[in-house]
This record gives sequence, C-alpha cells and structure tokens, in this order.
Amino acid sequence: MKNRRPASVFFTAVLLIVLYFALFPYPLGKELVAKPSWAVDIATTSSNSAAGDLPGSGDEGISPFQLGDLFGYVGPEGKLVHVGQRLFQTALSQTGYINYTRVGTDWIMRDPHGARLLAFSGFGYPLLSPDGRRVLVVSPDSTGLREVDGNGDTAWSRDFPATMTSVSLQGDFLLVGLLNGSLQLLGRNGRPIFQAPPSPSRIPVIYGCAVTNDGAFIASVSGLEPQVLTVLGRNGLSYTGALREILSTDYRREVRVGFSPDSRCLYYEDGRGVGLVEPSSGRTSSLSFSGKLAGCAFLKIGGLAAFAGRDGGRVDLRVVSPFVATFSSETFTAGDFFLGTIGGQLLLGLDGRLLRVDIKAL
Amino acid sequence: MTVMRTAFLMFAVPVLLLAAALPVRALDWPVQKRIIIGTFGQDRGNRFLDGLDIGGGEQEVRAVLPGELAFRYDENEDYTSMPRGLGSFIVLQHDGRIETIAGTLKKGSLGPLKTKYAAGDVLGTSGDTGYSDGTHVHFSLYDEETASFLNPLSLLPQVASTQQPVIKRVLVSIGDTTVTLENGAKVPHGRAEVIAEAYDFRQDVKFLWPLGLYGVRMSLDGKEVSRILFDSLQEADGRLSLGSGKLPLGSVYTTEGLLRCGTVELRAGSSHLILSVRDYYGSETTKEFSFTVRE
Repeated sequence: MKNRRPASVFFTAVLLIVLYFALFPYPLGKELVAKPSWAVDIATTSSNSAAGDLPGSGDEGISPFQLGDLFGYVGPEGKLVHVGQRLFQTALSQTGYINYTRVGTDWIMRDPHGARLLAFSGFGYPLLSPDGRRVLVVSPDSTGLREVDGNGDTAWSRDFPATMTSVSLQGDFLLVGLLNGSLQLLGRNGRPIFQAPPSPSRIPVIYGCAVTNDGAFIASVSGLEPQVLTVLGRNGLSYTGALREILSTDYRREVRVGFSPDSRCLYYEDGRGVGLVEPSSGRTSSLSFSGKLAGCAFLKIGGLAAFAGRDGGRVDLRVVSPFVATFSSETFTAGDFFLGTIGGQLLLGLDGRLLRVDIKAL
Repeated sequence: MTVMRTAFLMFAVPVLLLAAALPVRALDWPVQKRIIIGTFGQDRGNRFLDGLDIGGGEQEVRAVLPGELAFRYDENEDYTSMPRGLGSFIVLQHDGRIETIAGTLKKGSLGPLKTKYAAGDVLGTSGDTGYSDGTHVHFSLYDEETASFLNPLSLLPQVASTQQPVIKRVLVSIGDTTVTLENGAKVPHGRAEVIAEAYDFRQDVKFLWPLGLYGVRMSLDGKEVSRILFDSLQEADGRLSLGSGKLPLGSVYTTEGLLRCGTVELRAGSSHLILSVRDYYGSETTKEFSFTVRE
C-alpha cells in the first residue's frame, strides 16, 4: 500500500500535464522562410519602352529600380512598367524620373510609364525626393540648390557657404552637409530650420548625413581625427544631442547614412560593414561584411531590413532583424546589383535580372 | 566715396593677409599648360563661377601646396547622395585652413587612396566628368576662416598676357532711357546706372572666347565712384556674393551678361567719365567720355 500511493500521484500528475498541453497548446515560434516569388529579365526588354499598363493605371505597389545602365519600374507581380537606358544619370523616385545628359539645361520629369509630368530648365543636375514630390536642382559647382514647383518655376533657391558634400531629402525636410563641416536643415520652402556648427575634429568635413521623414532626428558622419557619428533629436525648435560616438573609421569620401522609414533605425557605414543605432534608446548593433555598403532596404515584415556589402563582384546580402538577429546571409557574384523593396518585400537586381523574394513567417 | 573705399579695404585687406599667411612662393599652378577658359566670378547663367577653369587638354593635375586629403569622389565609382557637377574631384586641406578643390578630373584618374600630398604630387588628370563639355580642370580655393572662395589668380604666379581687356561699349541707363555713351553725347540728368560690355580674352585662340575681368574702376568728374574686384565670393543671405561688398549676381551682371559698373548722379552741364577694366594679368584698358548732361 505504501508503494502504490506515490505511483498514482505520479501518473495523475503526468496525465494532468498531458491534458494541460492538449487543452492549452503552447505556440512554438514561427520560422521565417524566404521564397523567390518571381524573376524577370530586364536586359532583353527593349530600352525606353513601356511594357505595361497605361499611364496612371495600376501604379499602386510599383517600385523603381536601377541596375547598371538600365532603370525603370516593376509591378508587384513582376510586370515591367517601364525600362529605360540611362543617358548620363537618372534621378529616380517612386512617382517619376528624370533621365538626363551630362550637360543639359532642359529637363523633363516623366511618370513611371514615361508620360511627361513636368518640364523645367536651369544649370546643374536634378535631384528628386524618394516620393518624387519634390524636385531640386543642384548647381554645377555643388554650392547651391533650387527647388522647382509644379509649373517648373523656381520655388526657392539657396547658396551655401561651402561646397555641399552630402544631402538628405525626406518629406518636408532637406539636410545639407558641407565641406566646412556645418550641417544645415531646411524646411519645405527652403527656410533654414537649424544649423549645426562644425565638429571639433581636426578636419571637420561632413561625410554623410540623414534626416528622418518627420524631421525628428538628424544624423551625420563627420570629421577626421576623430571621425564622429552624431545623432541629434528635435527638442522644441532646436536639436540637441541624442548620441555622439567616436568612430574608428577614416573615410574621406561620402558614406551612406540613413534612417529606416519608421525612423526607428539609423544605419551608417562603420568600416567593417554597417553600424545600426536606435536613436530613441541609443541601442547600437553592427553587421560585418567585406567591401562597401552597397544598398539597404527596410521590409514591411517583422521589422526586417536587408543590407548588402560589395567587394568587387562579390555581394554579401544580410537580412536582419536590427538589434536582434541575422535571419539570412547570402553571397552572390554580380557585376550589376540593386537592392530595393516591392510590396514591402525584397527586390533584388542581379546582372540584368530582377528578383522578388518574399519573406514569410511559417 | 568713403563707403566705397571702406568696402574695398574690407575685402582687399583679408585677401592680402591671406596671401601673406600662405606660403605663396610655394603655391604653383596645378597644371603645366595654363590656358584659362573660365575665370573666377564669371557669370554662369545663374551664378558666379567659384573658381578657375583651366583647359589645355588632358594633363596631370598637381597639388599646389602640401596638403591632406579631405574629400574625394570618383564619378560613377563612389557612392553619392546627390548629383555632382564637379565630376570626379579631390579636396585637399592645407595649412592655414585653406582648401583647394580640383574638379572635372578624368574618371578613374584619382588613383589609389592617398591621404598626404606634397606640393607637386599628382591628384589626377584633367577630364570632362561632371557638368563639363570639354577637357579641363575646375580649380577652386576656399578659405575656411572667412568662409570665402578666393580668386586663385590672386595667389597663383602670374602668366603672361598678350591681349588687353576690351571695353566694347558703355551704356547709361536713366529710368526707362538707355543711351550709348560716346564723346560729345547728350544724356538726360538724374541717377544713372553705367553698364558696360567689357571682357578679357582667352589667350590661346583666335576666335572670341570672352573671359571675366579682375577689376573695374569708374570715376566721374575726377572722383572715384565705384570699384569692383573679383577677389572673393562668400555666402550672404543665402546667396554667393562678390567680395565684402556682398554684391549678388544681379548687382554685378545684367540678365544679358553686361557688367553693372555702378551708379552715378548726373547733373546738368559737362561731365567726364573714366572707366578702367583690368584683367588677371595686370593689363588695363581705360575709356574716357566727355559728354553733356541735359537740364
């Protein structure tokens, strides 16, 4: 009798546990799976052709791409909306593009189907905001900017006290980094909002700058000895320091600096790959790969981001959850490479081919 | 008059001080063939040219002073957040917070990354990258201390000049009336703007390739009334402006590209106007006009 009681208790306990898990199953973590959705060959599509719908129809979800000398727009299902041959350069945005020659004074902005949107004139080169709603002209000597209105006339223009080295145009905000180390933040009408003086570095050049879409944060990589990452946050009418980090880098060229569309993540070239900062908390992280940072894309799934490093023909692609984990690492060999998003998913361009990769939680 | 003199001194003195501070004797031309095809302060449609354009075909571009690499960009190779009219370019920082910019260099000629440059070290090859339609080097000199672009020709060793600058015509504009000024002319009285078609010549070609001037001086009835020196450009109220007088483009050039020499008060009677223009080589051309101002 003494030996039977513990055995019955044991079996009852096991039964209850089994019953508990049967009635209240514990959800296991979902696994992220990357699956190619479609691939399309753009190299064989004739240049400057619209291969898709009529202007204005079905533009929802199309994405711009630039791969080697070709540029254009592709739909979420892989239908090419437009493929064009780059002249000298192409200013490309979500809603329109300007394909221009080396020395031109007259430009035409066209919609993704190639239909004319805007014509304007001047000296220099055009620059479009990512959404295409703002059209600027950079002066030939890189000391001045001019914004063009919907009629092609000058909305405002401004010269800077030194040569511009880096520009970030997001929403209503335009951040300009100068050779003399100062940063100027301008509002919608070109009105100065904030000016940051040069850093105390020995040579205080701005090597890269970025502003968030809502103007809440601005960031720069500047100076030599030391080279410094500075993040400033809006504080009333001014900006105050959110983060200042001395970098071990010695860049003397423009470096890529940018924010995620939701402003939660700042990325910058950090010498070993890419450095990541969460401006609101100051949390940092880094990803290493060989070569220069060649592109980045923020996906609309699980806060994932993709970064690509390029070393000659070798491309290292990392899909990560910033500050958490690396989800995927792939290496390609490609002459031409492009990284973007389509429908919130990954859009890759590799040597004349576009490829959509969907990342899903299963 | 006093104001003009003060204004002149205000921008001439800093340039002289800078010239004294720089190891000027060590400063040499960035290229061997010194063919100037664009001059500092020249009207480039909607802005002043902030440096010097030097032609002479493809040639090595060298550091004019010892310096350190501050920035470089190789067209279509390096990342850029903005289109760059300077094309492939190199910026060197020199002692005294002076920077030199050599632009429109040949793509790929910048060579491997090098941080320290001795005077005479090769920066690259002159080319036609950026907003350029012919092989040349765009050379600028920037003074961080005064936040000014300086005229490189003020500081580079002088080159020989074979041609005098030209004053082709002088116009006097009073209200809606514009009169071509000639000896014996009769002009209305009042406050008048004197406008001139004046330029220098590119030295190496037979056809007309007008270049900008270095200085303009005007006097009326024995009194100096205006002086313009193309010595420095600095930002004022969001505009690159000429000299410490902070003259915006529209105050220096008409929309047709004619030179605005200054304004004079014409009073009835005889008047004598002297206009002198000087090029970068020290050659000067003067025109004098004796005319009658009507009641």
